[in-house]
Amino acid sequence: MDKEETLLDHMEREGMSRRTFLKYCASLASLMALPPSAAAAMAEALGKAKRPSVIWLPFQECTGCTESITRSHTPSVEGLIFDMISLDYQETLMAAAGHQSEEALQTAMKENFGKYVLIVDGSVATGLDGAYSCIAGRSNLDLLKEAARGAAAIIALGSCAAFGGIPKANPNPTGAVAVSDIIKDKPIVNISGCPPIPVVITGVLAHYLTFGTLPELDGLGRPKAFYGETIHDRCYRRPFYDQGKFAKTFDDEGARKGWCLFELGCKGPVTYNACATTKWNDSTSFPIESGHGCIGCSEPDFWDAGGFYKALSTPANPLKYVGAAAAIGVAAGAAVSVANRASKNAAKAAHEKTTLSDIEK
Amino acid sequence: MTASLQRGINALKEVIDAPVASFFSSCVHCGLCADACLFYTETGDPKYTPIHKLEPLKRVYKQEFTLLGRLAKMAGLAKPVTDDELESWSELVYDSCTLCGRCSMVCPVGNDLTYMIRKLREGMAVSGHAPAGIVSATRRTVELGGPMGLKWPAVQNVIKHVEADSGHKVPVDQAGAEYMVLLSSMEIVNYPEYIGALAKIFNKAGITWTLSSEAFEATNAGIQIGNSDLAREIVSRIVNAAEKLGVKKVLSPECGHAYMAIRWEGPNLMGRPFKFEVVHVLELLDELRGKGVLKMKDKLKTPVTLHDPCQIVRRGGVLNAPEALLKEVVVEFRPMSDRGKMNWCCGGGGGASAIHEPAAEELRFTAFKRKKAQIEETGVNTMVTFCANCRITLEESIDHYEMNTQLLGLTELLAEHLED
Repeated sequence: MDKEETLLDHMEREGMSRRTFLKYCASLASLMALPPSAAAAMAEALGKAKRPSVIWLPFQECTGCTESITRSHTPSVEGLIFDMISLDYQETLMAAAGHQSEEALQTAMKENFGKYVLIVDGSVATGLDGAYSCIAGRSNLDLLKEAARGAAAIIALGSCAAFGGIPKANPNPTGAVAVSDIIKDKPIVNISGCPPIPVVITGVLAHYLTFGTLPELDGLGRPKAFYGETIHDRCYRRPFYDQGKFAKTFDDEGARKGWCLFELGCKGPVTYNACATTKWNDSTSFPIESGHGCIGCSEPDFWDAGGFYKALSTPANPLKYVGAAAAIGVAAGAAVSVANRASKNAAKAAHEKTTLSDIEK
Repeated sequence: MTASLQRGINALKEVIDAPVASFFSSCVHCGLCADACLFYTETGDPKYTPIHKLEPLKRVYKQEFTLLGRLAKMAGLAKPVTDDELESWSELVYDSCTLCGRCSMVCPVGNDLTYMIRKLREGMAVSGHAPAGIVSATRRTVELGGPMGLKWPAVQNVIKHVEADSGHKVPVDQAGAEYMVLLSSMEIVNYPEYIGALAKIFNKAGITWTLSSEAFEATNAGIQIGNSDLAREIVSRIVNAAEKLGVKKVLSPECGHAYMAIRWEGPNLMGRPFKFEVVHVLELLDELRGKGVLKMKDKLKTPVTLHDPCQIVRRGGVLNAPEALLKEVVVEFRPMSDRGKMNWCCGGGGGASAIHEPAAEELRFTAFKRKKAQIEETGVNTMVTFCANCRITLEESIDHYEMNTQLLGLTELLAEHLED
């Protein structure tokens, strides 16, 4: 691919119309809760964008994150954007191997120093000086520190890179940690999820290419646009939760009727991600829609959160709390009601029958 | 001249009730009411968002009836409602709200915004911030009997003409008649044919009816300005007259807000059920149609569309009669896209047509663009409606835009084509 080719040129060559591209920008802008004017800005910036250099380092990972992105849906704009970035180092996808590939990494880091985007998937092993996970004889820890030095920004892709993920689960034999535990002096975006949603990564890339900055992040370093609300708040089964209609087993009447999976361990109420809105596989479905509760994979330490099928905690002695809460509520309600009645009665007492002169000043 | 801010705030405190409290606490700030309001859709100005128009009422509610609001008020952190603010709000509460009720229809949490605007007007009226046009209409209604200052001798005069033109007698003060018929001043002055039409239909159906010399006027400016004391005084004239004549039913004229006043607000204002039933003229006509009394000799050949008056259809609940009646008398009926209970207002309801100030009229013409687009979409040049106030507003706007649209009243249209 010609290095000077713009994204739009590339898309046209691949048979994707400008209209499709604009529609994509508009949907991406709205998905990220950007103002409508951002769609045009995004289209312009992305259309003109030259291939940004991206280095992708895979550490303690399962390649699921790569699969999620590369197999999103074809031919997708996401896929094309992904084709578009100059992926100078990605073990799974690159043709080079052995020394050749390590050379490519060194060259890319040197040539684009200070400008490249570093994507990391997988957690970083720190036990035994990082010996648990090595590439070409060097530990992940060492590689990360070296690559981070020249990075403009780091994208920690997937729950392993973002929070440590499955490798960090008890008893964490490799001493796995998240990227943000090691690197403290670079902007890091955590795109958590096991795996993360494809459009989230393209969304972050598009934002970076358009505005030159990273999108607004939440307390856990995740883009607010995608991780701002819980699965539960956006779940199509939410009305059943509100009505107290729950499936008790995976094959009961409630499950067949599509009732809420809360009692079957759904972690939707405590999980921040966009699955319920963007969905998966070209917006076909998402876990809850297929009948299984959310396992909370985009939250830290989801693997050790007490079992996928155990319902989220309910008070040990609900009656105790309910009783106390009810008593407080009744007292407060009565107090407010008495006060309100008093002020309404005072207003009534102060009422003077309106005559015509009372409607003129 | 005793209107004051204090009276206004006191009135607001008095009218805030459980529904208002639950409405304000359940608003989810979705903004759907904006797109339901023709003053917003036609101007694009967010200040016309219905819930925003209620801001003063909301603040009084918070500061007087919620715990946090009271604490904030005590700590001096709450922004008090001022006279200047209410003055500037007059445009939002009167000029740009016709009490059409479309916002209440679309609110996803079921908030009746129109109910609250009506309540906010209580405070606006006694703090002296009602538009001068509505104040003088109210004055004329209370002092003279009707918003146009029409007195009984003038009505008698009109009756004489109607009797001569139609050949039907118009009974007056007949105790024990089945129906006491109410009129609106606009009908008496601008569309006296309505009275002749009614006489013809009553005679044909063999129903006894009467007018009352003590209460012929059905409109109630007290409701438009938003003052229950005055509204009660006005409505009690009708109630007293009807109960004195001992009629079984009172017939509300086509006029939308007159129907609202006597049928829905009336018993609440009086604080007791009426001893008679209130029937809208179209309900009566539809009943006669069902009995086969209403037979047409011919039909109107030109294709027509129908404008549904908000207070009769959406707010009043007379949902099916209008179209059923219209289809009896026309060859081709082309309905508008948003019709029935989702109709768009003419722009002049809720007292807006009585304001007569350049800015208010300009706004009314701008809001009419919605109706204009609806009319044009149907591609017909004849529009039927059944509210004298809608009719005046529509006619003014049609003239303003130099449109080629003819307006017809439904009851008259029916009478004209009725079998002799």
